[in-house]
Amino acid sequence: MDGGLTYQRFPKVKIREMRDDVVKFELRETDASVANALRRVMIAEVPTVAIDLVEIEVNSSVLNDEFIAHRLGLIPLTSERAMSMRFSRDCDACDGDGQCEFCSVEFQLRARCHNDQTLDVTSKDLYSSDHTVVPVDFSDPNEPAEQRGIIIVKLRRGQELKLRAIARKGIGKDHAKWSPAATVTFMYEPMIRINEDLMETLSLEQKNTWVESSPTKVFDIDPVTQQVVVVDPEAYTYDDEVIKKAESMGKPGLVEIEAREDSFIFTVESTGAIKASQLVLNAIEILKQKLDAVRLSEDTVEADDQFGELGAHMRGG
Amino acid sequence: MVVKPNTTPDLEPLRELIRHHIESFDYLVDKGLEIVFQSIKGVHVHDSFINKNLRNILYNSSVLFFCIKGFPPLSMSKMCRQAKISYTGSLKADVYFQWDGGAPIAQEFDFGQFPIMLKSKLCHLRDADPQKLVSRREESSEMGGYFILNGLERVVRLLILPKRNYPMSMVRNSFSDRREGYTDKAVVIRCERKNQTSVTVKLYYLRNGSARLGFWIQGREYLLPVGVVLKALIDTTDHEIYESLTCCCSERDERDKGAVATQLVGERAKIILDEVRDLSLFTRLQCLEHIGEHFQPVMDGLENECYSAVAKAVLEEYIFVHLDNNYEKYNLLIFMLQKLFSLVDQTSVPDNPDSLQNQEVLLPGHLITIYLKEKLEDWLNRAKKLLQDEINNKSKNFDFCNLTHVKKVLDKNPSKQISSAVENMLKTGRLVSKSGLDLQQRAGFTVQAERLNFLRFLSHFRAVHRGASFAGLRTTTVRKLLPESWGFLCPVHTPDGEPCGLLNHMTSNCRVTSYFDSEGDIRDFEKIRRDIRSFLIGAGMMSPQPMLVKVGPPKFLSVLIDGHVVGSVSSNLVEDVVANLRRSKVSTDTMIPHDLEVGYVPLSLGGAFPGLYLFTSPARFVRPVRNALSPFEKGQNIELIGPFEQVFMEIRCPDGSDGGRRNAFPATHEEIHPTGMLSVVANLTPWSDHNQSPRNMYQCQMAKQTMAFSSQAIHFRADQKLYHLQTPQTPIVRTSAYTRYGIDEFPTGTNAIVAVLAYTGYDMEDAMILNKSSVERGLCHGQIYQTETIDLSDQGSRSERSQKMFRRSNVDKSMHSLIDSDGLPYVGQMIRPNDPYCCIYDEVTSSTKTNKRKGSEPVIVDYVAVDVKNKKPLQKVNIRFRHPRNPVIGDKFSSRHGQKGVCSQLWPDIDMPFSGVTGMRPDLIINPHAFPSRMTIAMLLESVAAKGGSLKGKFVDATPFASSVKKANVEAESEYCSLKKADGGTGSKPGLLVEELGEMLKEKGFNYHGVEVLYSGVYGTELTCEIFIGPVYYQRLRHMVSDKFQVRSTGTVDQITRQPIKGRKFGGGIRFGEMERDSLLAHGAAYLLHDRLHTCSDYHIADVCSLCGSILTTSFLQHQKRAVREIGGLPPARAPKKVTCHACQTSKGMETVAMPYVFRYLAAELAAMNIKMSLQLSDGA
Repeated sequence: MDGGLTYQRFPKVKIREMRDDVVKFELRETDASVANALRRVMIAEVPTVAIDLVEIEVNSSVLNDEFIAHRLGLIPLTSERAMSMRFSRDCDACDGDGQCEFCSVEFQLRARCHNDQTLDVTSKDLYSSDHTVVPVDFSDPNEPAEQRGIIIVKLRRGQELKLRAIARKGIGKDHAKWSPAATVTFMYEPMIRINEDLMETLSLEQKNTWVESSPTKVFDIDPVTQQVVVVDPEAYTYDDEVIKKAESMGKPGLVEIEAREDSFIFTVESTGAIKASQLVLNAIEILKQKLDAVRLSEDTVEADDQFGELGAHMRGG
Repeated sequence: MVVKPNTTPDLEPLRELIRHHIESFDYLVDKGLEIVFQSIKGVHVHDSFINKNLRNILYNSSVLFFCIKGFPPLSMSKMCRQAKISYTGSLKADVYFQWDGGAPIAQEFDFGQFPIMLKSKLCHLRDADPQKLVSRREESSEMGGYFILNGLERVVRLLILPKRNYPMSMVRNSFSDRREGYTDKAVVIRCERKNQTSVTVKLYYLRNGSARLGFWIQGREYLLPVGVVLKALIDTTDHEIYESLTCCCSERDERDKGAVATQLVGERAKIILDEVRDLSLFTRLQCLEHIGEHFQPVMDGLENECYSAVAKAVLEEYIFVHLDNNYEKYNLLIFMLQKLFSLVDQTSVPDNPDSLQNQEVLLPGHLITIYLKEKLEDWLNRAKKLLQDEINNKSKNFDFCNLTHVKKVLDKNPSKQISSAVENMLKTGRLVSKSGLDLQQRAGFTVQAERLNFLRFLSHFRAVHRGASFAGLRTTTVRKLLPESWGFLCPVHTPDGEPCGLLNHMTSNCRVTSYFDSEGDIRDFEKIRRDIRSFLIGAGMMSPQPMLVKVGPPKFLSVLIDGHVVGSVSSNLVEDVVANLRRSKVSTDTMIPHDLEVGYVPLSLGGAFPGLYLFTSPARFVRPVRNALSPFEKGQNIELIGPFEQVFMEIRCPDGSDGGRRNAFPATHEEIHPTGMLSVVANLTPWSDHNQSPRNMYQCQMAKQTMAFSSQAIHFRADQKLYHLQTPQTPIVRTSAYTRYGIDEFPTGTNAIVAVLAYTGYDMEDAMILNKSSVERGLCHGQIYQTETIDLSDQGSRSERSQKMFRRSNVDKSMHSLIDSDGLPYVGQMIRPNDPYCCIYDEVTSSTKTNKRKGSEPVIVDYVAVDVKNKKPLQKVNIRFRHPRNPVIGDKFSSRHGQKGVCSQLWPDIDMPFSGVTGMRPDLIINPHAFPSRMTIAMLLESVAAKGGSLKGKFVDATPFASSVKKANVEAESEYCSLKKADGGTGSKPGLLVEELGEMLKEKGFNYHGVEVLYSGVYGTELTCEIFIGPVYYQRLRHMVSDKFQVRSTGTVDQITRQPIKGRKFGGGIRFGEMERDSLLAHGAAYLLHDRLHTCSDYHIADVCSLCGSILTTSFLQHQKRAVREIGGLPPARAPKKVTCHACQTSKGMETVAMPYVFRYLAAELAAMNIKMSLQLSDGA
């Protein structure tokens, strides 16, 4: 490098918790733009597979066709394959009609109620042509009792539902049904400094009321030393309640809370379509691809003069 | 307030809301018809030739019975809706014929198909439980109360009428225009007969001190000197009349409180008596003959009677018809005169006819009864005329004494039209009547019960209209909200604009008295009145003996039961009597009906005319309050009070305070709950007591135009248009009314997470931003169901039946993808604009015709219903289409607090602000500017409460005024615990509502005030201020852009002016009117103005003759057919047009000028009036 100002940084990720559906991690040494870009990509641009086309053969249920089709679309399907699948709009195997194995998965649903008890048609009744793409199963494998998947419609005696559905790859930007993320959020890591000198001027009762003023359990009082300690800085919601409280108690500056501009605590919750950890990785992958697209685009080269250093940075310099 | 599924909701409160409709119709069926038939006088036909008389009596045996018209009885009302026919039963009655006093011969006549009210005693759904209702394809909570006519559901509108049998003193300028010498003062009484027909009698005061009795016969008012009537009524003397009139004045009391008479009364009495003497009428017989002589021409059927008989008939049929005894009428007339004189002397104030105190209501059953009676009378009279004509014609084939012959003649006067007249009345809401039935209006008696949503449907039954005649009035006095209507009419629930204040809604507590008692038996009003009378006599009332010297106020108060002067009570005693009456009213074991109205008007200085007015009659408003003095057990002390008595009662609010009355007027009664003053719809607004009042009014309007879950039986309905919300929710924040009236069966909205912030600018000016992903997940999705009925039998000429049928053309295969072989569309098929959806084959012309979809959006065939009643071929078909209507930009939404907004953007989820803690993105963003000026605090409360409630997993009770009841709870807890105590979130913790809600949030780690730190979805940075965010119940209103947008580039133009036509339906343009023009002028946007008004409108290039200046005389010159050589397949070059002026016979001065085409039209019009318009052309400047 030419020794000039460089924008390149090497963010660090520290995983705190990892389950199939939830991941919590820290993202450090980067700024809000990257963190938010990651969040946005996770919600809207990580592809999944979802039912997109429904051909209804028989529907004598109480719900109308569009309603059922809409419900089917919102059922999360396991989409580990989605990254390698093609978008049906640019699938050359099927001329874009979206019915080939590279870009689509076919589902069948046949249900008819034969007795007087109401029949629940659930996502379990959807038969997939591809065993890797099936409706997400939320039931606990240890307790197979009454967990029967996502209810699509309820049938009474004599009612019938028969349909063929085609699931395709898509992204959450196009329709929420393709979004793999139930929730993605991040917060700035708070830095809390208690002014111990000022704090000592408070009585225990005052300390107590001050600690209580935070709706979340950020501070506590040490039972031994009777000092106010920070128990969980991340529980702080930047609601400023404690600061306002300190001011109203006549002790401004009792506590200083700052958001660290370069550390973020992410919580990612998946719909089950892909594992939460995979969601993060996919998001990073897509983010990379997007940056590549920018870097390789001719416009970028042209705009180099304008961007100067930044342009070089984007090209990986 | 935990909503338990699978429990059948208690439908009783809901039924109670429309009971008055059904009970009034039930009475018509049970007893009303019988009384009507009895009260119709027979007609006499006299054949002078053979001197035989025929008496035609209408009398019924089995009046109305339900007859099944050939379709399965199981789903009759549903079938009527589908087949667009009326829900009726046949009305049959015996008509008796009697010749010369011989034995009457009964003959059954069919009076046609009579409309039946749903859930009335004749309806097949009468006692159906929800399960049975569902099996009959009805709503499980079907309440009935309406009629089905031609498949449409119609309700009879409740109308305000003057209170029956109560003499009301009035001051009206129109009275003095009656005739010379009349003043503007009168006492008016609307007397109602047992058969519910009524006659209004007015007692006018004359400037000379006398009075005239006025009443209407056949559209003309007749005025009688009151003295003549007094004398004609009973055998009496001048002295007696004088004594009765002056009984209430004594010199001693004149200045006392409550004195109503002055010394002038004596003078007036003398004048009245002098008048009679001047007419040289002295005895009763003379008076009768005097009356009879004048009335003989107008009284039907009494042409041959003597004068006194005519007079007696007049007195019986037109004067105080609610009384059947002349003594009683005499007493009432005396009372009215006293009231009139008191009004004149200003010792009492006039009654306000616009006040609910002096009003009652016209119920459906009663309207039908009086209309039916008139129609039956008309029928008899026409029958008589027909027979008379036949006799006069002396036709050979007619034997007057032969029943079959007589019947044959009567058949010319079809009896079936009686029912169809009633049906037509209900269909159109129009009375076709000569007499007007003593009603103020001729039209607008029924309205269609729209099922736009349940609240609107329900409101139709609770609405009370003041009368169409008041709508045109310029004054606002009739529209005013008067304190008298407290507790009976909802102050919140009245529409804005034109019908404001005229169309009111009954409060949720308000009931209407009926002919049925609480056990469901028909009341014997005679007996009830007798019982009350003996009760009063036991309590110290003196019976009126006309001969006795009477005493009036202030010492004695007259007692009237339903307009019958039954005696007088000493004013010292009257308070006790009233208290006594009230006590027995609430007690269960007395003969006093529990809805008796004890209108005790106390003595006052120049207040209302004092007296004790008791009302037992039906069609009065009543509402329950708690009798605080009653010693009965809890729940037993509920007393029904009416608007007349309420004014003079001391009713306190249930907040435990005395309402500022201190000890001066101790409260005798107490409201049950403050929400009782609100209508059902107004009761659904959470914490409406925290809102600015107009916002609650707006909400009442908007609740009724919400796209909601309108019907559970939507699959079996064939309404023209039905709005349906796909994924409705029950509100988290709810009032007790939601549970009481089972509104959860028909939810009206969705709990949306609402953030209040100015974001992106797309939420300015009441616009709101919807989260695109939320919408994609189903927020506020909905459909419109639209039914097209195609009836081939009534299309075109009725010459040959079944010449048309549904059949697909085999030639044109293009439509086969849309239309099945039976000529009808496939169910589930999408049909685009201008696609055919059904195909009709005409046998005569052997051609097929297709019906094409109009409109601009694709629809889906939801359902096809065929009428297979009359076998083959198929003639009647209902095709129901489904319009998908998911939220788009421009659709209208509102919260429950009169905060409406239009969706301005469907904003991407990732760009919405999000909460760092929960990751929550709002479904909806509104602008904070929506709050300061509108002051809908309850919406903020709702947001906070719903947030807390959803965190806790509990519904929050938001019943308004709950705090004012709670306070009392602490003081006298036992009193109220039986009543719906505030449950759910608002527990028994005392303190402010906000504190409660705030604590709830804090407990769960949220900000006390309901705000949260949000991060910008675009930048990921913290927003500088905390954002108020929480769930609010949002309603989707039925106004959607898809129904309203109007665009046009080019299109149809008007034939005459060549300007674009108007109307969205025809693809017309939007008017660019004068004010729009002005604004462009002001901007100096000349080119735009020219573009709008000329280029895009009727731009026209006209040929003008510059010699004569005419644009009308120019014409194209016919070209001589010149052989034009065709060059290489190109179209022949257009020959230059040759234009000449007819007037100048030359084409020399021809010029072309651009002008609006209307200008040419104007020139032509002017020319038609012999005015020549000439243009002077000049070049350039």
